[in-house]
Amino acid sequence: MVARLLLVPILMVAVAILVKGYVDVGDGFAAGVIAALGVLLQYLAFGRAAVERVLPVRHAPKLAIGGLLVALAVVFVPVLLGQPPLRHAPPPGAEVIHLGSLELLTAVLFDAGVFALVLGMVVATIHLIASTVEERGRRP
Amino acid sequence: MKLLGSTAAGAAAVALAAVAAVVMLAVWLSGGAGVDVPWLPSWGAQLAFRLDGLGALYGLLATGIGVAVFTYATAYLPRHLEHEERPQAEGRRFHALMVLFMVAMLGLATAQDLLLLFVFWDLTAIASYLLIGFDRHHREARLSALMALLVTGVSAVLLLIGILVLRAEFGTFSIPELLERAQGGRVVTLAGALIAVGALAKSAQAPLHFWLPRAMAAPTPVSAYLHSAAMVAAGVFVLSRLHPLLATSPVLLDGLLVVGLISMAVGGLLALHEDHLKRLLAYSTIAQYGYVVTMLGIGGAAGVAGACFYVLAHALAKSALFMTSGAVTEATGAKSLSQVGGLARAMPALAVVSGLAAAGLAALPLTIGFFKDELFFKAAAGRGAWLAVLAVASAALTFAYVTRFWTGIFLGPRPRPARPLPARLVAPVVVLGALVLAGGVAVGSFAALSEAAAEVAAAGPAAVEAAYHLDLRAENVMALAAYALGLALVAGRPAFAGALAGAVRLGRRAGPERAYVAGLAALNRMSNAIHGIEMRDLRTRVVAVLVPAGVLVGAGVAVTPFEGAYLIGGFSRPDLPLVVALAACALAALVVTRLRRHLSMALGLSGVGFSLAVAYELLGAPDVALVAVVIETLFMLLFVAVFALLPRAVLRRESRLAVLGSRRFRDPLVGVVSGLLMLLVVWAALSRPTPTDTSAARQLALAGQAHGKDVVTVILADFRGLDTMVEVTVVVVALLGVAALLRRGKLW
Repeated sequence: MVARLLLVPILMVAVAILVKGYVDVGDGFAAGVIAALGVLLQYLAFGRAAVERVLPVRHAPKLAIGGLLVALAVVFVPVLLGQPPLRHAPPPGAEVIHLGSLELLTAVLFDAGVFALVLGMVVATIHLIASTVEERGRRP
Repeated sequence: MKLLGSTAAGAAAVALAAVAAVVMLAVWLSGGAGVDVPWLPSWGAQLAFRLDGLGALYGLLATGIGVAVFTYATAYLPRHLEHEERPQAEGRRFHALMVLFMVAMLGLATAQDLLLLFVFWDLTAIASYLLIGFDRHHREARLSALMALLVTGVSAVLLLIGILVLRAEFGTFSIPELLERAQGGRVVTLAGALIAVGALAKSAQAPLHFWLPRAMAAPTPVSAYLHSAAMVAAGVFVLSRLHPLLATSPVLLDGLLVVGLISMAVGGLLALHEDHLKRLLAYSTIAQYGYVVTMLGIGGAAGVAGACFYVLAHALAKSALFMTSGAVTEATGAKSLSQVGGLARAMPALAVVSGLAAAGLAALPLTIGFFKDELFFKAAAGRGAWLAVLAVASAALTFAYVTRFWTGIFLGPRPRPARPLPARLVAPVVVLGALVLAGGVAVGSFAALSEAAAEVAAAGPAAVEAAYHLDLRAENVMALAAYALGLALVAGRPAFAGALAGAVRLGRRAGPERAYVAGLAALNRMSNAIHGIEMRDLRTRVVAVLVPAGVLVGAGVAVTPFEGAYLIGGFSRPDLPLVVALAACALAALVVTRLRRHLSMALGLSGVGFSLAVAYELLGAPDVALVAVVIETLFMLLFVAVFALLPRAVLRRESRLAVLGSRRFRDPLVGVVSGLLMLLVVWAALSRPTPTDTSAARQLALAGQAHGKDVVTVILADFRGLDTMVEVTVVVVALLGVAALLRRGKLW
């Protein structure tokens, strides 16, 4: 029960670390691992079948690949526009729109891509290991 | 997804080749054309294509022979697939690869940029690899394809080096500019030699000829195309394209001459001995391209003109003969000369047209082949009497094995019945045979085409003077001598067949193919040995990394002056927590070495990690500390999960294994010594005064401009963002690896 109660706060902390990444400690990578740890806790507490029934974890591989595509897009879209790769917008000196402590930057979008990728990767790995263990357990 | 059926794909390939041939001819007749687009401007590489005379010759060969061979393939392949019990749909792949082969040749023939030339060069190698290995369920076919790829691919690296040497010396990849600037010298000779080796291997010249007879494992249309208009022709094409450059060095030309002569002799003798139909033709190809290389080696207007004409005449005759052999095998099921015979009555049309092609190869009058030898004799006689004698001898060899090939198939007793052939297996041979005859009666347009090519290759006027002269000039006398000698060889063959067989056996036992096989086996053994040393178990592998690294670090420590390098700093109270954290870390690491059970080891290692995280935090690196904590937690849990995957019994047995005697002292010694060296390095680094203007300080100052306050995140997402991009890509690849190992590639 405690595990279920903890999930939402863990995910909130993760998102907070992601959002605040550009102004405070933490970044997309750490946030992704923390969120994945929250999911892992559910696996430990309730078992694979229950978690995969309740949570939308089956989209994890898509999340990982989507995150990679977002990160790659941030790197290569400037190239299509004739600029060096990973040219962030807005440029230095320009005004940045703030939503609380979230800054609307392409660099933050890049970080969000890393977050999605790490979260998806870890959850997918957990699933792969868990389902393999179960399968082996069934066989003599 | 079925865009085209197999039959439709074959028809499309024929249509494509026909259209390409017509377009090429039209463009060439209207004076040629070219495009020139910057490709890699910073390297000066251009997408430069131009249809000049040389490009037109090889382009028309690739497309024209292409029409004939592709037509043949539409009839041949369905039967072949049926015979091999493979689905008909595989035919699409075959036709697509043949078209790729043709496109690669067209690109090669028209490329005016060396880098571009190399790209198409390798494309022909890839296409031929896939085509030779088309019957991939046969081990023989796979090995042959690999051999062709390795021999021509490794030598292609030499070609690339040659190109880069030229680029370094003359600052351009453009072929016209290069031919203008490169006027001899040691560098040009070196680069020319490298390029020539690559080209000669592609043209299957001795001693790198052995891949070509093996490549006969390919379906017949592939052989017909590969030998006449693609792949093998690519080698002499590059020699012709760069001939003005090679001609600046007499040594290179002499080298070509020698290689060509040896190939003529080796190929001719092997062809005279060979029984297998297609292999006989393959040895003949080696000898025939030997003629071309010899003429390029003789050089001058006469040599180059002869070479260009020879390629054209040979392509027509050789592709026809290959398709004949395929048709004969199709009709009778026989693959070698000793199993066939007397087919002239059963298939008179094929006998006549392939007779024309054979006469062309044997250089009889009234065929285009007569002129190819006329030009060859003229060039050889111009060089010296000794070369004239060798030329006659090799022409006699050609006459002999071609006669043996044709008479062996069509004359004599008939050992087995022949099934009737579909028209499309004979029609291409009829067309090519007719062309061979047409070239012998009215040589004008053939001569014009090869003259245009020769003018490019010789970088000056080079007339192709092909005509009949009814007098006793040297060429005619040499031709008559070659016929006479050839007939004598055919008649006397039983007398020396034993000696020939002995020589061939000797060549097989001590020849270059043997060296190739031995070299490959030695490479395999070396790889296994290194694998055995390094990968036998994890500890040996760690030692294999630590010992060389330790030697290097130790050498570095030894040569660094000790004076002032190792300072002992002061100790103040606020440092106490840091020392405690580091001590905990060291203790945990020490404990791990004494543990036997896997789970305890994993717990001990995470103890090391958590202590380090505390140290990071105390040193004022909260970002690093945060990542360290979450990663340690995650790894710990994943470790436990992975242990669940391993059989309990294996884990238990492993943890009880005693340390081997030799390891008991080696492993701790290596560990302690490398640890001490590391200590010295870190100590020396910390003893240096902290620099004030570091890149860290600069990045800290720049973080504000990048709209960030947390410099670590800014570095990851902005300053060193490309590194991050590569790293996260690796993460996804790792996920695919996990999926491949655990669930056969299923991600969920």
